[in-house]
Amino acid sequence: MDLLNIFVKSAFIENLALAYFLGMCSFLAVSKTVKTAFGLGLAVIFVLGITMPINWLINNYLLTDSGIFGIDLTFLRFILFIAVIASMVQLVEMVVEKFSPSLYNSLGIFLPLITVNCAILGGSLFMVSKEYNFMESVSFGLGGGFGWFLAIVAIAAIREKMRYSNVPPALRGLGMAFLLTGMMGLAFMSLMGIDLG
Amino acid sequence: MHNTGYIIKFVLIMTTIVAVVLASLSSGLKSVHDKNEAIYNKKAILGAIAGSAGIDMAKVSDDDVLAIFKDNIEQVVVDYEGNILTPEKVTALGYMGGKAENVDMAKEIKKAEKDRVLPVYIYSGDTEKLYVLTVRGKGLWDEIWGNIAMKSDLNTIAGVAFDHKGETPGLGAEIKDNPGFYNQFAGKKIFKEDGTYVSVDVVKGGAKDLVHDVDGISGATITADGVADMMYKGLNLYRPYITTIKQ
Amino acid sequence: MAEVKELVVKKGSAIGFGKEEKKLLTDPLNDNNPITVQVLGICSALAVTTGMKNAFVMAVAVIAVTALSNFTVSLLRNAIPKQVRMIVQLVIIAFLVTIVELTLKAVSYDSYKQLSVFIGLIITNCIVMGRLEAYAMGNTPYKSLLDGIGNGMGYGIILLIVAAIREFFGKGSLWNYKIIGNTSDFLINTTESTMMGWYANNNLMVLFPSAMFVIAVLIWAHRAWNNKLIDVS
Repeated sequence: MDLLNIFVKSAFIENLALAYFLGMCSFLAVSKTVKTAFGLGLAVIFVLGITMPINWLINNYLLTDSGIFGIDLTFLRFILFIAVIASMVQLVEMVVEKFSPSLYNSLGIFLPLITVNCAILGGSLFMVSKEYNFMESVSFGLGGGFGWFLAIVAIAAIREKMRYSNVPPALRGLGMAFLLTGMMGLAFMSLMGIDLG
Repeated sequence: MHNTGYIIKFVLIMTTIVAVVLASLSSGLKSVHDKNEAIYNKKAILGAIAGSAGIDMAKVSDDDVLAIFKDNIEQVVVDYEGNILTPEKVTALGYMGGKAENVDMAKEIKKAEKDRVLPVYIYSGDTEKLYVLTVRGKGLWDEIWGNIAMKSDLNTIAGVAFDHKGETPGLGAEIKDNPGFYNQFAGKKIFKEDGTYVSVDVVKGGAKDLVHDVDGISGATITADGVADMMYKGLNLYRPYITTIKQ
Repeated sequence: MAEVKELVVKKGSAIGFGKEEKKLLTDPLNDNNPITVQVLGICSALAVTTGMKNAFVMAVAVIAVTALSNFTVSLLRNAIPKQVRMIVQLVIIAFLVTIVELTLKAVSYDSYKQLSVFIGLIITNCIVMGRLEAYAMGNTPYKSLLDGIGNGMGYGIILLIVAAIREFFGKGSLWNYKIIGNTSDFLINTTESTMMGWYANNNLMVLFPSAMFVIAVLIWAHRAWNNKLIDVS
């Protein structure tokens, strides 16, 4: 499969947010306005793009029995993946803070949230079960991040408009967000099975 | 606030404890895991012959599964030309054990058709002999695979069992879960009367040719097409072997 | 004097079961439900609720992880260096999840196969992390353990309710036991053997998005019944 194909597929057809519903906690909590959704979306692209290749290297060169140690260490997979994600997030936070305070101001508050975003760990676990090679995993990471970004910006835009509608009190806010996400998920299901060849 | 020396000490101790506990747990449970995995795979093969051989898959115990495999099933591995390979040759390909159950179809499917080796399980029951052939292909999201049990004429299907990696629950996943789908295959023939190979087609909107077609699953056309394609290509690879057996 | 002593006993003896302990267990079931009120741990709630059996296994796994991680972190709460707190907590969670995975693989291989990556995703289930930060870092191990069990159960109950609704309407069965609609080999045998044989399975309920709708309706009902939870913003 060529790289562009994987990118488009992971961004639209197998969208992490709307086809697998990963990263829903922050998806629902931070989608009240487009501006914050935009910031979180960018941060997710960034972190997915970095952690995916690193986790690929760890998985293929450290954990499998054909790796450096020559023994099957897959039982350490969860711990190493989450440690990489957490430390990458911390590293990115420090670098951004040092070199671009303006970017830090807009992205900074979202970075700690990302560590526990299932889309990041889920992406890495899917990458393992799909047996991608190195470049494919880079493409999958960027595409997955981009798809998640699009989804959260789209739902934030709808939720901003929703404020002018007369929603039953008990359904306001969270309940409505669930309904909207479900409907967007249904819409995305129509893309299922498109084969880009 | 703790100083750096303390942090390093804390992290080192924690890492050691975690690694030691997990390593011992993982190696301690390895034999159980391997046994579970073997039984899971063996059950998938029994699923295909269950209907004809009169095995109740809901009641069969793990020991029964192993006993049936030991007493009633002969495993052979064949190559693209239908020759039976010796266990040494199979082991040389990287499959430790050299039996059909050791062949990893996920690896084989990536090789060129000429280089593939194919597992065959031959079940000898009280009354009949069944051949279980393994096929693998692509569904909607990911890989799908199946075991096809053939009657001793190697033309009539006795039963099938499919599985998948990530098809949509309720739609594509029905190939594994819905008896209404997979039970249709029993009794279908893969050759026409004049001997031409047609496999079994999965037809959207209802089977027309009752000997060679089965009904599709509404809402899961792509997975169903994947099943038809997988069976056509997969069984085609076994044709040289089928010809040798028939002679 | 006696009063003081009693107070000390109450505070000091961590192993008791009074009103406060009961509240730790029951509060997350209603007023502070992790899913319908705090919106935590949605991801896995959606994927594993197509059938009650998977939902049950998942609920047990999550209860075990929240309870044990709360307990462990609370034991170590004064020893964990603040600077690397997050990573230490995550490593503890990942450690426990790996244990759960290895155990499940040994005990029920079928469930292990079906839940696949979603077992791993318990690590990022925000309930676990959220309780560590909000509760275990500042309370005694025994109370943290109860808090963990309570929150795990609050999560598990919603999981089971959603799964029951989806399985009943989507497959006409509960816990794989066929209740309404045609038996699955209806097309072959053309016999109706269960109640309400006319019922055709609602395939929408088996798909991922339907979990969203079911949870939305649950939230709606929960808030209409418990008015103080209504979102005023």
